[in-house]
Amino acid sequence: MSLSKIAGIWEKLIWPWRPESNREAGSGIVANFLLHWFPNRISLRSLAFPASLYLGTITFVVFLVLTVTGVILMFLYVPSVERAYWSLKDLDHAVSFGWLLRRLHRISAHLMVALVFLHMFRVFLTGSYKAGEIVKSARPFNWVLGVSLLVLTLLLSFTGYLLPWDQLAFWAITVGTNIAAAVPYVGETIRQFLLGGTIIGQPTLIRFYVLHCALLPLVLFAVAAWHMWRIRKDGGLAIVEEDRKEALAREPQAPKKSKTYSVLGIASGTTVQVNDPTTLNEDNSVPSTPFLTVRILLITLLTVAVSIGLSLVIQAPLEAAANPEVTPNPAKAPWYFLGLQEMVGYSALMGGVIVPTIVILGLMLIPFLDREQKGIGYWFTDGPGRKWGVFGFLFGLVTTCGCLALALLAPMRSIFPTIESQVFFDLVNPATFLLLLFAGMYFVVLKKTDSTRYAAIATFCAFIIAFVILTYTGTALRGPNWDFFWPWQAWPVHPTAL
Amino acid sequence: MASNTVNNEVRVSSDAGADPTRRGFLGRLTAAVAAVGALVAGWPLLRSLVPNVLYEPPKKFRIGAPENFQEGVTFLEEHRIFLFRDSSNYHAVSGICTHLGCTVKFSPFTLPQEETVRQFTYRALGEFHCPCHGSKFRGEGTNYAGPAPRPLKCFHLELSRATGELVVDVATEVSRDFRLVV
Repeated sequence: MSLSKIAGIWEKLIWPWRPESNREAGSGIVANFLLHWFPNRISLRSLAFPASLYLGTITFVVFLVLTVTGVILMFLYVPSVERAYWSLKDLDHAVSFGWLLRRLHRISAHLMVALVFLHMFRVFLTGSYKAGEIVKSARPFNWVLGVSLLVLTLLLSFTGYLLPWDQLAFWAITVGTNIAAAVPYVGETIRQFLLGGTIIGQPTLIRFYVLHCALLPLVLFAVAAWHMWRIRKDGGLAIVEEDRKEALAREPQAPKKSKTYSVLGIASGTTVQVNDPTTLNEDNSVPSTPFLTVRILLITLLTVAVSIGLSLVIQAPLEAAANPEVTPNPAKAPWYFLGLQEMVGYSALMGGVIVPTIVILGLMLIPFLDREQKGIGYWFTDGPGRKWGVFGFLFGLVTTCGCLALALLAPMRSIFPTIESQVFFDLVNPATFLLLLFAGMYFVVLKKTDSTRYAAIATFCAFIIAFVILTYTGTALRGPNWDFFWPWQAWPVHPTAL
Repeated sequence: MASNTVNNEVRVSSDAGADPTRRGFLGRLTAAVAAVGALVAGWPLLRSLVPNVLYEPPKKFRIGAPENFQEGVTFLEEHRIFLFRDSSNYHAVSGICTHLGCTVKFSPFTLPQEETVRQFTYRALGEFHCPCHGSKFRGEGTNYAGPAPRPLKCFHLELSRATGELVVDVATEVSRDFRLVV
């Protein structure tokens, strides 16, 4: 092979291409498969950091890190109850860099859950689930896809949790599958279907393993691809509504594009580019390559660097091997479920089934309940939006602390010592009160402001703070026997036990 | 503004309502056959995941000769059962919390005390505490604090005819006043 050929391959590998003109940048996208991901030009408003904080991009990068480390871990992990725990011990002590792989996979999983939540908060607070008035986009539907991605992420974390087959794993799954059993009528059937029997054993491990390594990642990848494709189809981030408004104001009579780009016979309707008045020009946009590509490359490198950095300092814990005979005290789920576990402590049916179902359904319904189209792409919409955000935050703070205090100081069973009916305690408990208080606040704010957006902002901010407080309580303030301890109080060394 | 509005929301199918033409009928027929086919194909896939044989420990097992158990309470770790002995009276209480299935811990009193719970008087040695969500049970199993929805189960006890050992049957629940007299 001649030297020039090698140099040619090197050039292709490092891709030193710099477009000289807009036209060349456009042709570059046609020529390069990877660049199809991005549009030809990108609005400066979209590109700005505060518009998105790049949280979706970071989440996807973390998912890629999880995929790569996960595939390697699959070669080293044995999904059998006799050997799973010992293959983890091997990873930590016998496999070269096994500890790094495991830490990186674990820390990325935690990061992904946190990032998916943060991304959802960003999309909600900037009103980016709204269709817009000029070109009705399908952003409401994309929000629903996003909520499904949140659920898929939590399911992936949950199924991954059992695989180390240590005490933490075993008891988290015991608690989790019993929450499923709290569903009326079909609960026990669901539990046994998840377990593949009546107790946690080999059939359970192999089920969770296949879900974690094959089924759920495939579904998540497909839905994530759809999620990102829809952003392209909807013409970019929600803030481009501003560009559209400006374009319309500039040239109200400008001829509209009328060519359809949909896959005829498969997808119905037209893309938003048809009839879109936006003409991204020299003033309000730049070519995606290199401006967006370089930013995404930088974000990718930073994300990977931070994940690796964190996994160098944060150890991945491994408790004693799973022992069905001894429950650790306290037995805690992973942090993102501890808010749920706190509420499950009031009632398994209300805290573990009804509240999460209402929260997920409520999140999915947001774009269909709030159809106002003002301030799309702007944080908290406008001034009053910020005010109602602060109000919701404070309301959530007070009510959540109030309900916690009620749960700690006056448990329902001590207030009503004579009542034995379980249905009563499933319906009357702090989790129910919190749910009713938030629903009530939504309608009060709606009545006062006559704005679904302000009511939604207030409720969502209350939800965020409630989630944070409950998670913190479950994580840091609950000790042996799920008793309450202040952070400065020491846990009893020897809980009374037989 | 309204003239510039184009609806681009996702629609699965563009036909609104039933199409009365032959083409429409054939379309619906195809969809129906496809749905039935998917159900027929999906059933074996799902049914195969519901086990017909469980390779799990038996529900009825021997735990040893009655005289080998000490006076008071013994926790059988392997079976998650508390065995109570009051001279020649034996009874077994499940150690599985009725809330979410954690193993409860027995918290003994300094001295046994007479106690009446739900019109049942007995000599209480202590009470049960669950580490997962803080449920608490009286010494005979009644839940009195925390989220546990039901009392702890009590299991049937008998003597093995072959060996004279105690036999626990966790598939047979008995009332809390059940005592096996040996």
